[in-house]
Formats: sequence, C-alpha cells, structure tokens
Amino acid sequence: MSIVPKETIEVIAQSIGINNLSEDAALSLAPDVEYRMREVMQEAIKCMRHSKRTILTSDDVDAALNLRNVEPIYGFASGGPLQFKRAIGHRDLFYIDDKDVDFKDVIEAPLPKAPLDTSVVCHWLAIEGVQPAIPENAPLEVIAPPSDGKNSEQKDKLPVDIKLPVKHVLSRELQLYFDKITELTLRRSDSALFKEALVSLATDSGLHPLVPYFTCFIADEVACGLNDYKLLFALMRVVWSLLQNPHIHIEPYLHQLMPSVVTCLVAKRLGNRFADNHWELRDFTASLVASICKRFGHIYGSLQTRLTKTLLNALLDPKRSLTQHYGAIQGLAALGPNVVRLLVLPNLEPYLRVLEPEMLLEKQRNEMKRYEAWRVYGALLRAAGKCIYDRLKIFPPLPSPPAHAVWRDNRKIVTCSNKRKAGTEHLEQPPPKRLATDGPVDVVSTDLSPSHMPGEAITPAPSNDSNVGPSTSSAHMPNSNDLDRKVERGKGDHRSMKTSAILNQVWKDDLKSGHLVASLFELFGQGILSFIPAPEMSLFL
Amino acid sequence: MDEEQVVKFVETYLKKKGFKQAELAFHDEVQHNSNANSVDIHSDPDLSLLLLSLSQSEDTPARYHEEYRKLRSWTHSSLDLYKPELLRVLYPVFVHCYMDLVAKGHIQEARTFFNSFREDHETVHSRDLQKLEGVLSPSHLEEMEFAHTLRQSKVNLKICQYSNELMMQYLRNTKSTMMLGIVNEHINFQVSPGQPSSISDDAEVVTLIGNSQDAANQINKKEIHWGLLEDSLEERLEKAGGLLSDSEKTEGDAKEGDLDETKKRSVEGGKQGASVKKLKKDKAASATAKVVRPETNTSSIAPRVKSELPLPVIPTEVEQSILEDLRNRVQLSSAALPSVSFYTFINTHNGLNCSSISQDGSLVAGGFSDSSLKVWDMAKLGQQSGNSVLQGENDTAPSEHVLGPNGVKRSYTLFQGHLGPVYSATFSPLGDFILSSSADTTIRLWSTKLNANIVCYKGHNYPVWDVQFSPLGHYFASASHDRTARIWSMDRIHPLRIMAGHLSDVDCVQWHANCNYIATGSSDKTVRLWDVQSGECVRIFIGHRSMILSLAMSPDGRYMASADEDGTIMMWDLSSGRCVSPLMGHNSCVWTLAFSCEGSLLASGSADCTVKIWDVTTSTKVTRTEEIKTGSANRLRSLKTLPTKSTPVYSLRFSRRNLLFAAGVLSKCK
Repeated sequence: MSIVPKETIEVIAQSIGINNLSEDAALSLAPDVEYRMREVMQEAIKCMRHSKRTILTSDDVDAALNLRNVEPIYGFASGGPLQFKRAIGHRDLFYIDDKDVDFKDVIEAPLPKAPLDTSVVCHWLAIEGVQPAIPENAPLEVIAPPSDGKNSEQKDKLPVDIKLPVKHVLSRELQLYFDKITELTLRRSDSALFKEALVSLATDSGLHPLVPYFTCFIADEVACGLNDYKLLFALMRVVWSLLQNPHIHIEPYLHQLMPSVVTCLVAKRLGNRFADNHWELRDFTASLVASICKRFGHIYGSLQTRLTKTLLNALLDPKRSLTQHYGAIQGLAALGPNVVRLLVLPNLEPYLRVLEPEMLLEKQRNEMKRYEAWRVYGALLRAAGKCIYDRLKIFPPLPSPPAHAVWRDNRKIVTCSNKRKAGTEHLEQPPPKRLATDGPVDVVSTDLSPSHMPGEAITPAPSNDSNVGPSTSSAHMPNSNDLDRKVERGKGDHRSMKTSAILNQVWKDDLKSGHLVASLFELFGQGILSFIPAPEMSLFL
Repeated sequence: MDEEQVVKFVETYLKKKGFKQAELAFHDEVQHNSNANSVDIHSDPDLSLLLLSLSQSEDTPARYHEEYRKLRSWTHSSLDLYKPELLRVLYPVFVHCYMDLVAKGHIQEARTFFNSFREDHETVHSRDLQKLEGVLSPSHLEEMEFAHTLRQSKVNLKICQYSNELMMQYLRNTKSTMMLGIVNEHINFQVSPGQPSSISDDAEVVTLIGNSQDAANQINKKEIHWGLLEDSLEERLEKAGGLLSDSEKTEGDAKEGDLDETKKRSVEGGKQGASVKKLKKDKAASATAKVVRPETNTSSIAPRVKSELPLPVIPTEVEQSILEDLRNRVQLSSAALPSVSFYTFINTHNGLNCSSISQDGSLVAGGFSDSSLKVWDMAKLGQQSGNSVLQGENDTAPSEHVLGPNGVKRSYTLFQGHLGPVYSATFSPLGDFILSSSADTTIRLWSTKLNANIVCYKGHNYPVWDVQFSPLGHYFASASHDRTARIWSMDRIHPLRIMAGHLSDVDCVQWHANCNYIATGSSDKTVRLWDVQSGECVRIFIGHRSMILSLAMSPDGRYMASADEDGTIMMWDLSSGRCVSPLMGHNSCVWTLAFSCEGSLLASGSADCTVKIWDVTTSTKVTRTEEIKTGSANRLRSLKTLPTKSTPVYSLRFSRRNLLFAAGVLSKCK
C-alpha cells in the first residue's frame, strides 16, 4: 500500500512508548507517514537548491523541518553529505556507517589542525573568449587539428566566424618550468628537488603544451646518453611521471617516446661503469612498457604486437648479448603471463640448452658472463613461474571436495609424473575400492603438505611426489584415468549435471597445466615449485 | 432551429407510417450526428451527465487500469500526424485516473496503476509525478494544493477537429466510459479546424498548473511598456553627440590596449588607470573626429518610457565615472567574446550558499550557511595575491588587512547579524551597500563603507530566498518561501508592495531595466512579471518543467531569460509573453544568468562546472523572420563553453565595460 511498511510504524510507535499499536492503526498511519516524509523531502530539496548544492545534506532536512515548525533531528549535523553503505545481502538496504569512538581516544588525540579560513582567489577563465592554459583552468582538450574544428562548426548551419587555432606559443612560466625540469634531469637527478619535480609532472594540469618538448628532450638524451646510467634512469622516471599525469594526452606522442623507452630496455650496454645497476633500470623500464601497453593497448591495436615482436626477436637472436636477452625477458614478463605462456614457454627448452653452458663454472670462465647468464636464468624462472602461478590461480575452487576428489587429484598428479618418468616399471594400479580405503591416509598427507611446502620445495626429494611417482606405470595410466573418471561420473550423477560439467572442465584444465608444470619442473628443477600457490601445491603433492 | 423542425417532421412521418425500425435508426443517427458536430462534449450537458452517471455506476478499479491501458495502446498506434496531439491527452487522463482511484479509496490499485504507467510521463512531468506519488489518501487530495487545484480546474488542450473526432469515436466505440468521464470532466478541448497544431505550442501544454490557462492568457494581454527609461545615462551619452560616440567607435581599433587597461582596472580597482585612459581616449577621439558614426546602438531603437517610481539622484562624480565606463565599453558580439575573470572561493567547507559581485568587480560577497556574510575587497586582494602568487614572495603582507578578534589577519570583512543561513546577497549599483537575505526571514542592509549593519527589514514570514537591488539603487525586491515577492525602499522598514499570486515558493527575483517591473521565478514552474507601481501581475510565462533558479533581463528591456533546475534556459519576449527559444546545453542546475551590457550575449553559469556564452542577437533575429517555422532553427546558439576546474558557477556579472566576472566554489568531491 505504502512504501512504508507497517512494521516501520510499529517500531516508530515503540520508540515513543506506544507498545500496543494495533495493526489496523499502523496500516492506516503508513500512507500518512509516507506523505509527510515526501513533504519534508520536497522542502529539503528546496533548501538544497537555495544553498546552491546538488547533494542533499542533513542540514537541508533540518531546515525543512524548521520550515514546518517541527523540531529538527539533532545529532546528524555534518558538513558534507552522508556516506551510505549498502547492507550486505540486501539490494536496497542502506545504512550510515557510524563508527564507535572511544572517549579516551578523542581526549588523548592531539588537537586537530585548525581548518583553513575561507578565501577567494582570482584568475582568468578566458581572455576574449579563449581559455589560457594555466593550472587554475580545467585542462584543455587536445589541441584539435583545424579540419576537425571546421567540421563541428559546419554542422551548426548558422554563419560562424571560425577562429583559427592559437599558435603554439609557450607562456613564459611554462618555458621556465621546462628549463628547470630538464636541468634537474640532466644534472641533479638524485636531489630531493627532482622528486618534487616528478610529483609535479605527474599531477599538474597545465603541462599539456610541454609534452612535445618533453618527448623530444627524452628522445635526444636517450640517443646520446646511453653511457650515462643515472641520466637514463632519470629520463625513464620523467616518462613514468608524464604517463601518470591524468591531464596530459600523451597518445599522439607515444610513437616518438616508445623507441627511447625500448632502447632502455634492450640496449646492449646501459651505463659505462661496472657499478651501474643496469638490471634495475631494465626492470623499471619493463614495468613502464607494460603500463603503456595496458593503458594505450586498446587504442593502438598494433602497439603490443609490435612491441612483443621486437622483444621476441631480441630474445631469440643468439648473437645478441645476454643483457639484451634479460631486458627482453623482463619486458615480455611484464606484459603478462599470457604473453609468457604463448611466446616464451615454447622457446624455453632450446633456449635453456644454449644458456646452460654459460652458467656452469667449468664451461664459462668469465665471471661477469656467468653472472649475466644466471641473471637471465633467474628472469626466465621468474617469468615462467609467474605464468604457471597465474594459470593455477584461475581454477574455480572445487566445490567442497569429498575424500575421493582429493585422491582423484592425487591420482592425476601421479599420472602426470608418470609421463615424465615413463621409464620405471614397478607399478601398482590400485582398484577403486582399495583407493577408498587408502583415502583417509592420503587426505592426511595432503593436509599436512602445505605447511611443509616451503621446506620441501628446497629439499631435493619431496616425499610424496617422487615416491609415488615412480610407483605407477605408464602402461596402466590411461586405465587409471578412465577409472577415475568413472568414479567421478558415478558420483556426479547424484549431483546436478552442471557440477559434473564444471568438474570435467577442471579436470581438463588440471591435466593441461599439470603437463605444463611437469615440463617446467623438468627444465627448472625444484626452483619452479616455489611459484605454485600453496593450495594447488597440495593437490599436486 | 430548422434542422430540429426537419427532424421532427421526419419523425412524425415515420411514426405515422409505422416504420419503427427506420425511426429508431434515424433517431440513432440524429443523436450521433449531433455528437460528432458538437465541438465540446461537455457543452451538451445531458450527454455528459449521462456519461458521468454511467462511469459512476460501475466503477471497479480494474476498469480504470484496463481502459487506460487500451486508450494508451490505441494512442500509440494512431496516425503519425495526429499522434502528438492525442498523446497530450494521455497525461491529464492518467493523472485524473490516479486521483479518482485515490479519492475512491482504492489505494493499492492506485499505486499499481501509477507505477505501471508512470514511465510514459517521466521525461516531461517527473516533478509532478513525484509530488503526486505521495498522495495516498483522499484527505491528502484535499490537503495538497497541487492535487486540489488539479481536481478543481479543467485542463485546456488545443486539438484539431479530426483528432478530437478520432478520440471521441474511439472512446465511444470501445465503451470506455471511465475515460470518457474523465475527459469530459477534466479536459477542455479547444478544437481548432484544419491541421494539427505544431509541436512548438507544446510548451503551453506541458504544465498542468492550478490556475487555468485562460486566466494566464487574459493576464498576458495586458499592456506593458518594456522600453527603457528616458533620460538614462546611456541615452544622454548618445545624445552627447558625435565626439563621444566616435570615441566609442575607436574602441574597436584600440581594443587590445583597452582590454589590458580593463584588466588592470579590475584587479586594482583604482581610478588611476581610468584617468590615464581618459587622456588617451581624448587623443584618439580628436584623431578620428570626422568619422561618421555608422550604426546606431540597439538600445536607441528601444522606445523610452517614463519611470513610475521616484528615482534616486545619482551624484555627479559617480555619474562621471559611469559615463567614463560606458564610453570605454568593449563591444561584444559573436565574434568578440568577453574576457572572464573568475573568483574562486576556497576552503568554504561546504558552507557557501550564494555569492555576489559588485558592478565594477572590485567587491565580492559570499553568504554562508553559518549565518555570516563575508565581503572580499578584490582590489586589495589583487595586489597581495598578485605579488605572492606570481613571484612566490610571502613577506609582503599588506597592513590594511582587517584584524580579527584574536589579531588573526583576515582577508575579508565579516558581517554578522543574521540568525540563519544567508541565501542571497546583492550589491547596490554603486557598491556602497549590500543587502542580504536569510532563513531568519529578515533582509539586512550593510554598509561597505562603515562595515556595519544599518537596517534590518522584517516582513516576510518565511525564509527569504532572494533579494535584488533595482538597477538604479534605493529600491529592492525580495522573494520568499511565503509565496510572495515584496518591493522595499531602503528608507522604510516595511515593504511598499506585496506581490502575491505564485502557487509555490518564489525562488528568484529580477528587476526590469526600466525599474517599472519585476520578474519572479517560482517553484510552481512559472515566471511572472509584476508591475511595481500597481502590484499587479502583468505576465505569466509558462513552459519550464522544473523549479526556476535564475532570471536575467536584457538591457534593451525586450527579453528575459530564465533558467531552471534541469539546465534549460528559456528566452521570453516580454511583450508577447511567448518563449522565443529554449536553450539546451547545461545538464545541471543553472544558478546564474547575465546579459552583456549591450545585450548581444547571454552568459550562464551552472552546477555542471561550466560558463556558457550564448548568442542572443542572431537567435532573436532568426525567430523574428522564421517565427512560423518550427524546431531546430529557433534556438539560441551556444558560442562558447568555458569549463572550470570542478567549480560550480554561483554568480555572473558583466561590468559596465563588459568584462565578465564569475564566482564559484571549488568543490573537490567528484
């Protein structure tokens, strides 16, 4: 009948001491309560409009009650609009999150800062109809090409005098700003002032006119400053800050910017001194590249493909130095696990074959080279590990696995490890019944394993895995697989078809990534295991 | 008479011959014909009574629902040509169906009915619907003024003959007696022969106002003299002859330098710039003294009227400075847009309710919800901020600052006296007084020279939403929640006139350029024009769809602009009372409007953080010539949108030299 339910009326009645309000009375009061409420809100909205606001505050409601000669509701006064939170589990129930405040805390807390006094500042919003690009004004749109402006004007059929776009003239302030920033970047990139400058680059709104100059500056300096590690790092930081700035439209300048950035990622030598930590620079640049791809990838479809192509070429060319390989791997890894899975993993095995001799003490005498090789190996391991971690993480959580489900997975990892050590003959294919009896034991062992995991990952012989692994044979593998599936089906019939479908999917995915893990394990040994998330690890052990 | 006789003859003839069937058929046909011919159904009292009784006899709530649903689907499937007209009928029918249901106590059914069809009318009538939604018992219908007046009065709808016939035919054929009853009872069709009327007339129909359209039309026939005051300074300036006007013309050539001057002046607020310029101007004037003045000002076309009020005398030195300003005015047009100086209030803690800028832009006032009124002298502030902001020197704190009670330096003058939120403030034309209106029902007059409260005007019974000085000072008008607007003079504590007539709060008020009229905008979605001398309502402007928030009068006195909560701005021709063109563009409340001094541009400031500049001259010319044509042509052209940095624009003001000042609050919550 009314949007106010009668229960609400009853609660209100109780709150003012009427305990035995009859249902009929509540029912007939409800519409009137709603009407009064709407009336108060209507007045409150008027007060809001006259306070030149578009958000209703509790003050407005108080003012409306005042207008109606009703005592205002005390205790809700606040400067701003109230923050409502949605009650969990309800679609349209909201409440105000009122925190309990301890008196002691309030008393002991230091006095808050006095609020700043109101003041007025003055600026030019427009001069003869043209908005100057100063920080006080809203950021300008990208300076539109003249043809564009004409089109939009022509739609307006009335006669228009077209004002040609303003000549690109930098204001004196901007010029000073640019000079200051470039000077800081070139000479004093380790000062605190440079950090301030980076923050300003990342936040100030009036900088758009400077972007072409900055891109030019960066391209030039990178091209001739490859030996200066500090400068390169400072430049990349400037790029990073520019990318962060929400008021800058950097897209049109990306094509000028990208070569210098990629250079800092895969150049053969960055910096001229032994102490220069060019690895760090490459890592930083990799994340920079990734963020560019993430932000502009959808606008420039070819951006990521071109980038990955460049990087992959660098990686797969054996003539390139290891530092270049490192940069390429980091770059690819930063682009996401999918890129790694599709591009790096297939090439992993041959690549490692080439890399291995470089890492060994007896084959590569040059310590520097060996160190580089190990760095590359580390980067590869990390990339592959992240990829596999991501892969495993996306599995839907198993719907409350019963005992058999747990050892089903056990079985499966057994079969996987089977494949990898296919040579062994000793086998014991336990029939389903036998498994059932074994179940509890297995469950216990898997329950324990996550806590032991880190230790096990380091120790060369993981107890469960390698022991069970050889114990089954390849000959019976498909058989066991089928059997398990049957068990799964049998149980699945009890449940809805849907669950079994999901389980099947999981099964398939599991199998796939199982293979993946297996092959990775083969290549990296124990190193890869630390990347497998604990709960999944438990399934594999 | 003849027809009736013929009918009788035929009838008796048929009776005589015993042709019963034929007689019946004939009778039916006669009845039918008379129906079809009767232009107004309700003019045939018997029939409408019959229909009414029919509808009363067997009314179940379900029938309302069913019949309205049918009527709706029929309307939507009707011929395209007549559809708009027929659709217009739906809304009143819908509203009255709902109210009938409520009146008969079928609350539950009323609500379901309302909810199932409300989307149809949501776009146009959302605010009315919100009001009506709360009506839940027969007593509410009586109590709520809006509903009450709706029930009492009839809606006038213009409709062409064929549409009318179509509709009646349909209602009768389907035996939708409920709908027929409602149509008869509450709708007054003004049937016009020929083609359906154009959509542009819609504006008059969209609001179901309490008072009937007739009354509004009647009022709008009254004569008004919208001309400018005779012997005003502008006129004197024009009459002063070629020399001065030539100097005005040279303005265009020397505009750039001039603008710099204006800037300087606005910041410094000093008179030195002006005197320097005067020298310059004189030189320029003598140089081009022989150039013949090519065009006359727009204002010179406007007829001159005598003032009906005794007007205050302007001191000669002030007169001189005004004349100086007028001579140095920058001519604005669609090609020459104004410069905008923006005053941003910061750290207001959500407390600023209104702001006002003095004529020369040197003073800025803010009214706060904590009952205070604060006035900034931008001349002093300009010097200070000019130094500190641009050169980063903080040590040049000027000593003239007003000292607060604790010796803390304040950059403003604090006026305390009100007991409730200050909702409006206005500067006198010379900048020596400020008026402020507040929720405590009073208006206070403050002197900026003495920094003190001088008078407290009591008279309103409810919060005073708006107060405005007349263009020549001395008189002022106020608008209040008590549904009246009042005229006051500074020297009397009681109002001189009370303008009553609005059906809801009067939200804003504005003076006509010749001081003989004031315009008021109200929550009842109408704008009214009142004669100050007689206190009569002389125009009602109907067309807005929500509460009216701001008004502006063109300097030539011919047009008025009004803006509402939805962001629609409407331009009205005062003499005809018709809307010249609606301006769409803003998407939130338009808080303020301002005409440029020669009336060629309109500036609007809105809660959507933009200042928009509209071209007035072309649009009014266009509508002059193509008045008959509908639709797209007659809208004001938006010349420029100036976005601010998350700062809703609270007030706008063109200085006499056509520099635009704007003020707003920086609001971070976005």
